[in-house]
Amino acid sequence: MQGVFSQVAVMGSSGVLLCGLILLWRRGVAAYITAFTWQSVVLAALTAAVGYFGDDPQLYAVAALLLVIKAVAIPRLLRRVAQRFTVGREPAPYVNTGTSLVVSGLLVLLAHAAARPLEAIAEVPTRAGMPMAMGLLFISLFIIVSRKMAITQVIGFLMLENAIALLAVLATYGVPLIVELGVFLDALMGFLVMQIFLYDIHETFSTADVDVLKRLRH
Amino acid sequence: MFDTAGIAVEAGQALLALALAPALAGFIRWMKARMQNRRGAPFWQPYAELRKLFRKDMVVSRHASWIFHLAPFVIFGSTVVVSLLVPVLVTPLPFNAVADLFAVVYLLLLATVFLALAGLDTGSAFGGMGSSREMTIAAISEPAIALAILSLALAAGSTNLGEIAARTIARPSSAISPGHVLAFVALFIVMLAETGRLPVDNPSTHLELTMIHEAMILEYSGPYLALVEWASWLKLLVFLTLAGNLFVPWGLATSLAPSALAVAFLSTVLKLVVLAAAVAVLETRVAKLRLFRVPELLAVSFVLGLLAVASSFSVR
Repeated sequence: MQGVFSQVAVMGSSGVLLCGLILLWRRGVAAYITAFTWQSVVLAALTAAVGYFGDDPQLYAVAALLLVIKAVAIPRLLRRVAQRFTVGREPAPYVNTGTSLVVSGLLVLLAHAAARPLEAIAEVPTRAGMPMAMGLLFISLFIIVSRKMAITQVIGFLMLENAIALLAVLATYGVPLIVELGVFLDALMGFLVMQIFLYDIHETFSTADVDVLKRLRH
Repeated sequence: MFDTAGIAVEAGQALLALALAPALAGFIRWMKARMQNRRGAPFWQPYAELRKLFRKDMVVSRHASWIFHLAPFVIFGSTVVVSLLVPVLVTPLPFNAVADLFAVVYLLLLATVFLALAGLDTGSAFGGMGSSREMTIAAISEPAIALAILSLALAAGSTNLGEIAARTIARPSSAISPGHVLAFVALFIVMLAETGRLPVDNPSTHLELTMIHEAMILEYSGPYLALVEWASWLKLLVFLTLAGNLFVPWGLATSLAPSALAVAFLSTVLKLVVLAAAVAVLETRVAKLRLFRVPELLAVSFVLGLLAVASSFSVR
């Protein structure tokens, strides 16, 4: 049972991580949004699985919330934003695809090294998935700094949020429900604020390419 | 160890692989045709092609050197040797001592190198272009293969094919371990690149801008072409068998009892059909990648292999 639980945890967190990697390989905002949606679905499934194996019914509620907010509501809002700006293909990122894939592989290795002390003190059977969550954290940060379009950066930020949620679920079977609710609200609010920023950037510069923001200096 | 029954099964398994390879290629073509709303040729069409080619005369370019004549035999021979090493039906075989994953991969690479040499040999423009592309892809798929192999070997504690299959049979839970699954996906992507399947090379076209494999064998005709084509189908079969029998080894016979062999035969055919169907679906769904995006695809495979290796360290 413990063995299966551990395998499921690692499997699920690998799935979440892989959805993050799709962002580096595919081009086009629609594909990014789909990847984010699937990531949230896998994360919700993993949360429910941890709730089942760890015997913590509260996690079912968290999983349901995850599904509603991150797999349905936010992707829908994102699609609307993407449609509004009629953004098709993303301009070439600062780091090309091949290099960024290799960099992300190295980041995951780094995460394995960084998560080692965490794994050593954690007692839970889900601890083996923690390096993946850390890896996703690093990769989302990398996405945020290496992409030019504001909406991609927002998706990177949302993935960062997913990574933190994953880490919480794996390390401590989730934080108390009330904290989780606060975090969800924060994420949603943060996203809405960013959406307003996006609109403003678009209004002012008639593009969502953050490279153009350098003009602010003049 | 080297008993006659074992050797007979070994030889029988290689012959079986040889006999099944054209059917596999035909099956993929048939299935693709069906999914694209065409009737498609029956799956035994490749046998008819082989028979036709073996009967035909050959035309060899005046500029061809001995490499051109040697290459088909090296390509065919090395692929047949590989099919002797891969566990098609039974897992511990007389040749198991040399059935190493590295040996398998580099024997297949030997065939690729000779194919590329033959493409260059006659000095035709297409052949050279095909060879150059093939070598580019082979060079960048190497690290990805090595990593996928390494993660399998780490899980089993050995690069021996029989050992890996036996280890997975002994511990069924390891088959759903992330290292295993990621390595499977990584190897599948590399397999597509190595056997010239769709996102990398289009096996059913002679359009000069896109072809890789077809460009190299453009100068071949008659029995030589038959050998090269047969070898390429066999290579596909070997890769699919590796994917099926290393990652999902159940059904593989562990003794030489006839009933176990029958089960092994059925399960191997079933696995091949499933994997071939996956290839056919994939080839119907995706378009060919631009040549410049192929390194990115292989980088995906490389990263998956890296993740597989990393997670096989963290799980234990």
